[in-house]
Amino acid sequence: MGPSVVAPQGIQALQVATILVGSPLVSGVIAHVEGRLQGRRGPRILQPYYDLAKLFRKETVVTDESSWVFLAGPVVAFSCYLIVPMLIPVLTTYGLPLGYMGDILGGGFILALAGFSVALAGTESGAPYAQLGSSRAMTFGALIEPTILFVFFAVALLTSTDLPYAMAATVRSSTSEIVRPGHVFAAIAFFLVVLADTGRIPVETHSGTLEFGMIDEGRTLEHSGPQLALLKWGSAMKQLILYTILINVFVAPWGLATSGSPAAVVIAIASLIGKAVLLGCIFALIDNLFSKLRLFKITEFLAAAFLLAVLAVFVFYVKGG
Amino acid sequence: MHLVPSAYAGFADVVAMLVLLTEFAMLRAPLLRSQVRIYAFQSLVVTGLAVDIAAARHVPDLYTLAALTFALKVVLVPGVVLRLLRDAEADLAGSPVLGVASMVLIAIAVSAFGFFAVGSFHVQSATLPTTALAIAIAAALVAFVLIILRTDVVSQAMGFFSLENSVSVASLVVAAGLPLVVEVAFLFDLLVAVVVFGVIMRVHHGRTKTLSTDELDRLKG
Repeated sequence: MGPSVVAPQGIQALQVATILVGSPLVSGVIAHVEGRLQGRRGPRILQPYYDLAKLFRKETVVTDESSWVFLAGPVVAFSCYLIVPMLIPVLTTYGLPLGYMGDILGGGFILALAGFSVALAGTESGAPYAQLGSSRAMTFGALIEPTILFVFFAVALLTSTDLPYAMAATVRSSTSEIVRPGHVFAAIAFFLVVLADTGRIPVETHSGTLEFGMIDEGRTLEHSGPQLALLKWGSAMKQLILYTILINVFVAPWGLATSGSPAAVVIAIASLIGKAVLLGCIFALIDNLFSKLRLFKITEFLAAAFLLAVLAVFVFYVKGG
Repeated sequence: MHLVPSAYAGFADVVAMLVLLTEFAMLRAPLLRSQVRIYAFQSLVVTGLAVDIAAARHVPDLYTLAALTFALKVVLVPGVVLRLLRDAEADLAGSPVLGVASMVLIAIAVSAFGFFAVGSFHVQSATLPTTALAIAIAAALVAFVLIILRTDVVSQAMGFFSLENSVSVASLVVAAGLPLVVEVAFLFDLLVAVVVFGVIMRVHHGRTKTLSTDELDRLKG
């Protein structure tokens, strides 16, 4: 056995494991930094792990109105979040065996399925706030969708493919690719999409307890025990997945393993977590600099993201974009 | 496969794109004051573009132009308009004909027309940055949308001034070696426009006690 190469299947498993194990850590660091920025000491960095362990030990309480959908939703969403890391460049610059089973649209569909099943489970609870949250999450999700589509169009025009690996390779290839307006504006639009999709401040108060302002958080109000743990873990994974796409596909696809050597893979894991934490600090800073938009002003924020994505596509229709 | 522009051209395109984006920001700015500040920022971006092109193409004249642009469009014009606004004591723009979302959608459609129109010229030149030209033309068209759809004197003045900004972007990227005297003549036009719009703002506010042009729909005998 050659000791110097990790099998591609092994790296694929590691991609999923990195997202699975690393996501609560990234959430913990963000919460800690946020606390520090607000003059608090902030929770421990490992707090999300303790929360998850506690929730897994608790019993599940189910409302009278709900059916099996209420219990299955979190499980379906969690398994979706386990599939997406196989499709995107988490650790390697080259496609892994299952990496081409879905393109960037396939990944988008699986993320949408996860969001849909959580919203369905929230609606199924029969509780007003969870239903309000689910309904809002689907409404704003539908408004974010066109922006995501136009970002994908921009990727397709930049690379002539719709594979995230090809986009990352294009960004790495030269400086001129980085400063192309098509790339810059697609990346900024996707940044705004991540901001909205992870429930960050201009759209939603991440750690708020006021039900009236809740969108994503509202959906999980009625869940408890292991189901809630899966939902919380799932939303942390979704956050890290979106960060990974933003970092490793659009903004900074450096530090990825170019071969299967163990050292390169370890460096790739460390650099991904490091970059995700840095990005998380930027999000924490935005959280502290801006105030939450009123619910009916969120459409204007999403319209700005849409404008950027549309302009990113338009510039390709003139020579060289 | 598309031709990949050089890093310098790409950077210039992004800066030109910023001009277009500030145009959209002006379209939705509810406060008249913030609209003037956005115009000042847009002019600052144009100044930056002039410096960038001066350095990249070794046209020392453009440094003079950049300095003049900064003094006039970033400091003097916004200063004068803000002062007029302070005297008029009007904060909010009157309710526009259309909602913000519809205005932005119309502006997107209009700027798309600009992009596709320049794209269909099929300009095949190694030195002419077609993208930046297209962006400048799109910005000019959005400035027209701003002038047409917003119903207050300040927005219309700002639309006109920013129209001049997008024309300077176009002239900077297409004809960087344009004689300085021509560029200065453009700036002088702007000064005349500022005086004219200043007088209009004063007279309009003096007669109707508002900056909105909605009041101008009655015949006076």
